[in-house]
Amino acid sequence: MLYLELFLQGLLQGSIYALIAVGLTLVYGLLRILHVAHAGLYTLGGYFGVLVYNSSGSLMLSGVVAMFGVGILGVIIYRLCYEAILDQPPFVPLIASIGLFIAMEELYRILFGSYGISYANPPLQQMLPLGGMYLREGEWVTILVSIILIGGLAWLSSHTRLGLAWRATVTDPQMAESFGIDPIRVRYFNFFIGSALAGTAGMIVGILNNLVEPTMGSVPSYKALAIIVLGGLGSVRGTLVAALALGVVESFGTIYLGNVLNRDAIAFVFLILVLMVRPQGMFRGI
Amino acid sequence: MKLKNILSLIPALSMFFGFAWADTVKVGFNVPLTGFAAADGESALNGAKLAVKQANATGGINGKQIELVIYDDQASPKEAVPIANRLIEKDGVKVAVSGSYSGSTRAAAGVFQAAGIPYISAFAIHPGITQAGKYIFRTSFMGDVQGRAGALLIGQTMQRKRVVVITLKNDFGKSLAAGFKAEAANFGIEIINEYEYSIRDRQFGSIVAKVRADKPDAIYASGYFFTAGPLVNQLRSGGVAVPVIGQEGYDSEQFIKIAGAASEGVIITTSLDRDSNSPETRSFITEYEKLTGNKVDMVAASGHTALNVVVTALRKAGTRNPEAIRNAIAQTQLTAATGHISFNALGEVRKNVQVQIVRNGDWHYHSEIRDQTLLAPPES
Amino acid sequence: MGYEISLLTFMGISIIGSLSLNLITGFCGQVSLGHVAFVGIGAYTASILTKADTPFFVALLAGMLLAGSFGVMVGLASLRVRHDFLAITTMGVNFVFLGVVRQQEWLGGELGVSSIPDPGLGKLGFLALVLGCVILVALLSLQIRRSWMGYVFEAVSGDEDTARMLGLDVSRYKLIAFALGTALAGLSGGLYAHHVRFIFPDSFAFVESITLLAMVVIGGNGSILGVIVASALLSVLPQWFQFIGDYKLLLYGSLLFIVMRFSPGGLAGLAKNIFPKSKKAFALKGNQ
Repeated sequence: MLYLELFLQGLLQGSIYALIAVGLTLVYGLLRILHVAHAGLYTLGGYFGVLVYNSSGSLMLSGVVAMFGVGILGVIIYRLCYEAILDQPPFVPLIASIGLFIAMEELYRILFGSYGISYANPPLQQMLPLGGMYLREGEWVTILVSIILIGGLAWLSSHTRLGLAWRATVTDPQMAESFGIDPIRVRYFNFFIGSALAGTAGMIVGILNNLVEPTMGSVPSYKALAIIVLGGLGSVRGTLVAALALGVVESFGTIYLGNVLNRDAIAFVFLILVLMVRPQGMFRGI
Repeated sequence: MKLKNILSLIPALSMFFGFAWADTVKVGFNVPLTGFAAADGESALNGAKLAVKQANATGGINGKQIELVIYDDQASPKEAVPIANRLIEKDGVKVAVSGSYSGSTRAAAGVFQAAGIPYISAFAIHPGITQAGKYIFRTSFMGDVQGRAGALLIGQTMQRKRVVVITLKNDFGKSLAAGFKAEAANFGIEIINEYEYSIRDRQFGSIVAKVRADKPDAIYASGYFFTAGPLVNQLRSGGVAVPVIGQEGYDSEQFIKIAGAASEGVIITTSLDRDSNSPETRSFITEYEKLTGNKVDMVAASGHTALNVVVTALRKAGTRNPEAIRNAIAQTQLTAATGHISFNALGEVRKNVQVQIVRNGDWHYHSEIRDQTLLAPPES
Repeated sequence: MGYEISLLTFMGISIIGSLSLNLITGFCGQVSLGHVAFVGIGAYTASILTKADTPFFVALLAGMLLAGSFGVMVGLASLRVRHDFLAITTMGVNFVFLGVVRQQEWLGGELGVSSIPDPGLGKLGFLALVLGCVILVALLSLQIRRSWMGYVFEAVSGDEDTARMLGLDVSRYKLIAFALGTALAGLSGGLYAHHVRFIFPDSFAFVESITLLAMVVIGGNGSILGVIVASALLSVLPQWFQFIGDYKLLLYGSLLFIVMRFSPGGLAGLAKNIFPKSKKAFALKGNQ
């Protein structure tokens, strides 16, 4: 029973990782940018969530603002920050992105205070033991939202014109362009979806922790990178599996290896081992 | 008219060239104001500023006003070393206070010791800080000391014997755990398990699941308000109802905000008694809220206390001779916001440990640990 | 003077660190996001040794050797994984290094190593030593750049597969780049430890690796002069920015971003754009 519970906790953590990392892998798959500032957008989602909820009391509204607000900001960041340096060697956008991330964290601190913000009446905190599993409402919601959003994304990419255009651009940008697909629009769309997912994840984590801090994005900023590499860089399916696997490994690791290595180190030992065996990540080309 | 303009330039110029014309007494203060430690930095600075304001309102140092010389060290040793040099040479301070974390305080302590300038750590707990030498003091509890107090609190006062330890993996959590484990057996405590987490962790689902299976009588969990808040919240909503015992890292209204209803009944060892009748503590609590709009926390109280120690020493020793200031600090007998303060031979503080409990959404008096043998900090 | 001396010393130590990374990332094109792990290995080795009464210079050398040996191991990994995969692997090396050190009681665990002995050179003497090392490392970089090895590095950096097809022993040179770069990182670590005389795991956190990489990239990846100037600037910036208080890190982050956004070639690229004709003066140019 304990093992099952640890496994479920791992999946829960993993689905949060997945929401963040899928956006990152979308960006990478299309533009080959390691978009560290993605974690800054995730934090912003947390702030949007808590600020809107505390002033309006509507979970729905704050969810919408967190998703769409952050999505739009993601597009703006692409337009202003990355578009001009796409043809540079990869470390140029990487350092630009890191600079942007540092500036974002500091901006949040200056704007919203260094102590962080909590929900005035924290929603979704009640325990809801289903099938002997002790999870809070918020945690069940997290799992549900992840499934819906990522499932919706899969449906979108395989059943709509936009999705087809998108996949075509990822596979072969020139070919896609010759078929009349506007690559710029696809990129905007890409950043919008990826950032909206991150914003949602930020809001969810803000609720689960009942705390939104300026430095909330520091762990996802590097761990999401590890996940997308583990998943094979640019593969959405690989990223999903890697995120869930990492969540589970960390969940068990915290309990049984916590006195040997900390959570981050466990994650990266796992990463290095996998890469030594499969240098292209777990799921290259799936 | 012209002359007046020129005259009015003089103070500005003298500030620019660093002359000691403006007749103030400078006290150095390094504190993290940007980066990850900025929240504690803000509290420490506000506490210190309040102490300076109060001291200046009551005549300063023999008629001279006190001026805090503040530098942001980002809690990084790399930044703290040049800052310490700058305080000593450029600003010419004869005494300084650290409102920062262990890393930067430990690094700066070496510089102050070498220059023979007294330096007080307000809340950094690294045991090596005071070992840097005789010019270095600390007004907060060492981690070990507080860990021992925690063992007494759980094993003797509360009579809980089967304990799970949840340790924050940094110098603070590790030294707390070391002190707790050293004394646990003496109070009949059996440590059934220990789990560690890192300062960035906010999700404790797996630890909660395991603790529920461990079925302890009590949980001894180290952390700061931003880790302990989510931890306690998740423990409670995860169905773990046994008492959680924390330490001064919890000691902030932020903890109660984050943990919400789950914070009720959490007990901590700390240095500030909010229900105290002592005028020093009362005036600190009310004036701090008036000054900042925030409720007091342990870090603010520590910054306030450290500055008060400095002010008292300066009043006694005058403001120029570091050696005299150092000796005056060493002989401190002061009732500050955090209780009665004196130092041992190493420069570690001797004071009682306050035990506080959350009742009706606020910190309140639970008990006080006065056992000075148990609480004795190391002498070397 | 102590203030200026301590600033200059930190500046020199940063320059050694970033030049050492420049060998790997700038010259040989292998992006490393975990370089500070090797700085850390050098720092821990040297300080544990001097605390056990080993002479300072012997300890420094030992730190370099150990850092270099671990560097070769990561170099071996670079033969297996490439590009962004390698970057993230090296980032992992940083986190694993921290995770391991945090658990080692004999390395001080979370409390680190305090009371590291003074090398006994005096503040000025130590600064002279650091600056001497800076000059040596810069000359070494220059020498490598001009040698056959530098040519191979450039080929590997440009296109590894082509270099291999030309019959160049790519693997060997990659390992050499890692060995040299990480050993010099170990040197900067040993110097750091004996300047601050206190080290703990957070001194070698991931963000420090980023800082080093930022120095290299802002300077102009591969440009020796550019990297020196950028590290000198970035290492003292937080001190200079004291007067803007609250906005210090905001400005720092924005600067990183703005330089990359508007001058992707870093300072070296900027200089080349401003003075397009005086190519000689920037003969230490990067591999744009």
